[in-house]
Amino acid sequence: MSELLSILDYQFFRHAMAAAILTSLLAAMVGTYIVSRKIVFIGGGITHASFGGIGMAYYMGLNPFLGAAVFGTMTALGIEWISGRGNIREDSAIAILWSLGMALGIIFVFMTPGYAPNLMSFLFGSILSVGKTDLYILAGFSLFTFLLFSVFFRPILYTAFDPEFAKTKGIPVSTYRYMMSVIMALAIVLSIRTVGIILVLSIFTIPQITAMLFTRDFARIIPLAALWGVTGSVAGLFAAYYLNIPSGAAIIFFLTIQLMLIKLVIFVHRELQRRSG
Amino acid sequence: MKKPLIVLDNIRTGYNSDPVLREVSLEIYPLDFIGIIGPNGGGKTTLIKAILGLLPLFSGQILFPGGKPKTGYLPQSSQIDRSFPITVKEVISSGLGTSGNLFPFLPSGKKEKVKKMMDETGLSSLSSTAIGELSGGQLQKTFLCRALIDEPDLLILDEPNTHVDKHFEQEMHEWLKELNQKMTILLVSHDIGTISPMVKTIACVNRTLHYHPSNQLSEEVLKVYNCPVDVIAHGPVPHRVLKSHDNE
Repeated sequence: MSELLSILDYQFFRHAMAAAILTSLLAAMVGTYIVSRKIVFIGGGITHASFGGIGMAYYMGLNPFLGAAVFGTMTALGIEWISGRGNIREDSAIAILWSLGMALGIIFVFMTPGYAPNLMSFLFGSILSVGKTDLYILAGFSLFTFLLFSVFFRPILYTAFDPEFAKTKGIPVSTYRYMMSVIMALAIVLSIRTVGIILVLSIFTIPQITAMLFTRDFARIIPLAALWGVTGSVAGLFAAYYLNIPSGAAIIFFLTIQLMLIKLVIFVHRELQRRSG
Repeated sequence: MKKPLIVLDNIRTGYNSDPVLREVSLEIYPLDFIGIIGPNGGGKTTLIKAILGLLPLFSGQILFPGGKPKTGYLPQSSQIDRSFPITVKEVISSGLGTSGNLFPFLPSGKKEKVKKMMDETGLSSLSSTAIGELSGGQLQKTFLCRALIDEPDLLILDEPNTHVDKHFEQEMHEWLKELNQKMTILLVSHDIGTISPMVKTIACVNRTLHYHPSNQLSEEVLKVYNCPVDVIAHGPVPHRVLKSHDNE
């Protein structure tokens, strides 16, 4: 055991652990909103469109995450606006923004002189290279989101569940919806650092699906998703280091294995109860 | 003459600049119980959404002579996502709005109100149950409680009879009759046979609106107003059977 934990002597691994935990906590809150509202596809659109911002920032010599944040936020707001219209097919609009973002990203990276060495890290994450500034930003945004979810818990829940009814109760539904779109976009972009564009949606969904095996209460899903997110991603991180496999992929693999194991345990438990009772 | 609660003055409304309802005028008086009937796609739901302020008016106006009444709304069950992870208690609480309760904790006054409502309606044992696990009747009861918890002056119900059994339907009818002693009710239904014994007046909605200050529609009236309705006869439920149009 002490041998296993000896890796914690390295600063880069401690940073990676902190990033995995913070990302899991952030994704637990935002992911519960995404899964409950069944808008995982919107999450996919935001994630992939943000690649356009990464490419453009590269080309202009700016911080790629700044580009991703701008593109992600614009996409999220655009999709929310479209869904409020009702006369444009929302899923088709998402697909267009999704592929347009990726296309722009590829074009800009191609046009940037020299080789873009970090490109793979955006696609698959680079948790082992997370620095102190990254952690501070992630911690600050996680805390901000936590405060937001705490203070505005009910309006967020009511507008997610039945926006029309919420409107009849005088709740400013559009304001909350747009606010959550921005939170969603920024949470996704910050999490890209940990697991990459291709895998990021799984940390916003798998822990929630695992939590929903135990409860169907929005408020209780969040802490449970945080728990399963942290256990899965920390286990994945250790496995990535010791088995020398990519960390993002290992985290997703462990989150999925965890989900399947818990499902199996619940199934066996129910079966035994049924037979004995 | 009583002052009307709501006046619809020649309104034109619909979705995405496509008017579903044209030139609709109606005066809703306190303690009326209006059955809104009409064919599917005729604009029944559009009408109540306009009254609730959920749809823009392309022309005309909606007036509230005595000030905007407090409203309780029960949407069509198809509008509800039953798989959303939310409990009965939380759904009912949402009827109280969010004023005074930021943070996840309900103020004790509101908590008491929700508890009392659940005790009175027999939903207490289902308090922490997710809505996805409820029967059709339990679900409608939960949503009716959500509409009623804020003690509205006006109750708007959109097809409350969908997916409920006959037993609950009868229970709900008794409940609505009692509620009508103290609040105005608008009830949308495609099934005039079931609602006719309860309602006081009838509004036929089919792109436009015709109001009948009685709950009995003669064959003549239906013909004149081109208001096709389903005629359904039920066993133990008291009912009046109205004929359909000749041209149907």
